[in-house]
Amino acid sequence: MALLCSSSTVILPSSSVKPSGSDRRSPFLGLSLTAISNPSVRVGINGNAKRGLQVKCEAEQATTSLVPANQRWMFDEEEANGPDIWNTTWYPKASDHVNTDKPWFVVDATDKILGRLASTIANHIRGKNLASYTPSVDMGAFVIVVNAEKVAVSGKKRNQKLYRRHSGRPGGMTVETFDQLQQRIPERIIEHAVRGMLPKGRLGRALFNHLKVYKGPEHPHEAQKPLDLPIRDKRIQLQK
Amino acid sequence: KKGGVTVRASNERENRGEEEERRKMNKKKIFSLAKGFRGRAKNCIRIARERVEKALQYSYRDRRNKKREMRGLWIERINAGSRQHGVNYGNFIHGLSKENVQLNRKVLSELSMHEPYSFKALVDVSRKSFPGNKNVVQAPRKVDISSINA
Repeated sequence: MALLCSSSTVILPSSSVKPSGSDRRSPFLGLSLTAISNPSVRVGINGNAKRGLQVKCEAEQATTSLVPANQRWMFDEEEANGPDIWNTTWYPKASDHVNTDKPWFVVDATDKILGRLASTIANHIRGKNLASYTPSVDMGAFVIVVNAEKVAVSGKKRNQKLYRRHSGRPGGMTVETFDQLQQRIPERIIEHAVRGMLPKGRLGRALFNHLKVYKGPEHPHEAQKPLDLPIRDKRIQLQK
Repeated sequence: KKGGVTVRASNERENRGEEEERRKMNKKKIFSLAKGFRGRAKNCIRIARERVEKALQYSYRDRRNKKREMRGLWIERINAGSRQHGVNYGNFIHGLSKENVQLNRKVLSELSMHEPYSFKALVDVSRKSFPGNKNVVQAPRKVDISSINA
């Protein structure tokens, strides 16, 4: 409890002006910090905004409850101030992972090393870069990859990396090299790489549908206003 | 002796009745624990008994596993939150422990989600105390020499 008091006293703006990553309820910056380079601080719609810049100390919290007076009989003493967010680990509600509110990212695959690119993409699709990461829930973003036919690999992999598939019947193994597959269906290379890095299972298959790979430099998702995928890997660009 | 026989007979009948009741009670308990099980495991006592025993074993084990899994989830969330500020989990925790900040991982993960500015302040505290591993030796990069002969 003392920590609550101290954290609110140390950071004045945090308690009153709560920036919200999505439209209304989720009060954390997880999405907006990655998506927007200059965090645009929007005033939260909860009661804190009305009180202005005020230090919320423990005594005030005990008296000013978020529950209206005529409904207070429904709650116990401990619950009168709202749900306990400090003693129970947060789990996302359905409104915290609506597909229409998720950010979209676009990345140009030209001359990027295949595996490093796929790893970054898989992390963003899974949501592992967000503080609100939950393994059982799809909290990640959508990722668009353009120029998929220009993705690069190091060493002799261009001629030596094999892609295999089996039809299920005896003798039904088909083997292709990276080169041949890139000429035939270039999108499949990136899809194969990312699919191997996503979890396997129902959730993993649903996550895979959030990856959109395209051959040329154009993609049909301009309406989603995709941002540039932030890449922190220094060795992802092929050195020529 | 006759009295003894009759007493025994009535005892047997009573005991059998009690035993049957006891057996039915036990079955009732088992079926009440087997709610929601798949297929015959919720309806047939032989199968339900096995599954309920296994379920109780799992719940015993998982009460202990839950504590481990929760801590792992907090660590993953703290990792993601601190990497947004450019510090990875290991360096972050090391810096905090150097400064004797004794916040536990549960609270740190909740801070990283609900109090982003406070969390940034903590990351700055940690970074000031432990700026990171500057003496890391970069592994020599493999250079592609196939182009020399080609």
